[in-house]
Amino acid sequence: MQAAREKRLEFERQALVHTDSLFGAAYRLTRNPRDAEDLVQDALLRAYRFWDSYQQDSNCKAWLLRIVTNTFINEYQRKKRSREVLDAAAAEQESTDGVLVQASASDRQSPEKVLLERSVSDDVQRALESLPDDFRTAVVLCDVQGLSYKEIADIMATPVGTVMSRLFRGRKLLATALKDFARSEGYVRETTTTKPDEKPLDFEKYRAARGREGSR
Amino acid sequence: MSLCESIESLAMAYLDDELVSEERRELETHLVACSSCREVVDRERSDLSLVRAALVPPPAPDLFKARLAKALDEEARLAQRAQRLRPLALIGRYILPGAATVAAVAAIAVFVLVRPPATSQTGAVASEVVRQQKRSLPLEVQGASTGPWLRQHFAPVEPPQFAEPGIRLEGARLTVVAGHEAAQLKYMVSIGRETFGLTAMVIEGLRGTELTGGQAIKVGERTLYVHDADGRPAVTYVDEFGMTYVFASDRLPAQQLLELVVSSDLIGRAQQAR
Ligand SMILES: [Zn+2]
Repeated sequence: MQAAREKRLEFERQALVHTDSLFGAAYRLTRNPRDAEDLVQDALLRAYRFWDSYQQDSNCKAWLLRIVTNTFINEYQRKKRSREVLDAAAAEQESTDGVLVQASASDRQSPEKVLLERSVSDDVQRALESLPDDFRTAVVLCDVQGLSYKEIADIMATPVGTVMSRLFRGRKLLATALKDFARSEGYVRETTTTKPDEKPLDFEKYRAARGREGSR
Repeated sequence: MSLCESIESLAMAYLDDELVSEERRELETHLVACSSCREVVDRERSDLSLVRAALVPPPAPDLFKARLAKALDEEARLAQRAQRLRPLALIGRYILPGAATVAAVAAIAVFVLVRPPATSQTGAVASEVVRQQKRSLPLEVQGASTGPWLRQHFAPVEPPQFAEPGIRLEGARLTVVAGHEAAQLKYMVSIGRETFGLTAMVIEGLRGTELTGGQAIKVGERTLYVHDADGRPAVTYVDEFGMTYVFASDRLPAQQLLELVVSSDLIGRAQQAR
């Protein structure tokens, strides 16, 4: 009984302190506060069940982010693949009726929730919407969570080069979309649109070339 | 390869502080001399701050944190109870033939956890599975191609296999259970002259709260739930990827259905994955 109590306290000290961070990541990944809450709760309950297998000396936040990311990818991407038609219909509905339609359909609706949804920056969520999940995940882990390329590569189980190109293109698309929205609403007047760069990243070639010169 | 050619990706790694000190110094020296590269770095810097500023998320709502704490308390309470209970004499009561199974099950400690009386939302999922099991709807795929079909049309999962020799996978169909996508796997069980159906419903995206109600059974590290859906038993198992498996049968009582599930390779997979 004592052990269970200690486990709960230890989990609180090491894992629950990251709740805001995890919610932030989940919020940008799912683009919706309700899904973000469900995602974080699922991930933390899972983390609690597997707490015994967590290595105490490793980075707890990265471990939790891995669980959040994997849960997101497993549940959301699979669903998306098999529900493309439904999704398209829902997206259309949402774009015509606005987010509040969804909120009023929710049985867990509360004034805070509606307020939160109304204050969500639509531009950012719309811009995120346009990114493929892999690009969005890389950008969220880097620019919302401040993880290094290597840490992101570990979480997404891809090489660092892939992380870099997802990050590069993801940010380009986001920046372009954000500027377009701003321009269309008259916030920004300049017109230096940067087209998303489609050529492969040459960073690794650059490093390899330098490596041959014996400088690393 | 000249530095100017790689400037876009170099600028990104530079601004993310991912360059080693030598690379950084070389780039900074170059930037002093090369105005076009300088422009690229400036543009990338302003794009990056635009993106980062836009992405700053709100903190987790307090109401959510309170709900989360409650869910964890519940989880902790259940785990704690499971630890206090003694192993149940489940083993050795097989009606089904197969000595190998008995040995396999004996290797796993089985605990029974008596839960408080079922709550209001008892087994909506389990009832739905039992109902669909009774209705024998047409299968979309049959026989050996069921596994590949399942992976192509549903999710990357393997149909559970049973150690009992008399259980054959008939086929599968896609369906919906309590609003979640699901695949119904149908098995034919033959014992002596008796033949009857068994369903393994694979459901994705179920939330923990949708599985409340039922008796928790601790098997090794994992927990199964035995539900009573209007007098019909169902056994639920959630794997570590969050995929839910609900088993139901026309003929088997709860105890035997549970033993069958425990003997399946689902539990074995979980033990091996550790
Ligand atoms: Zn240059």
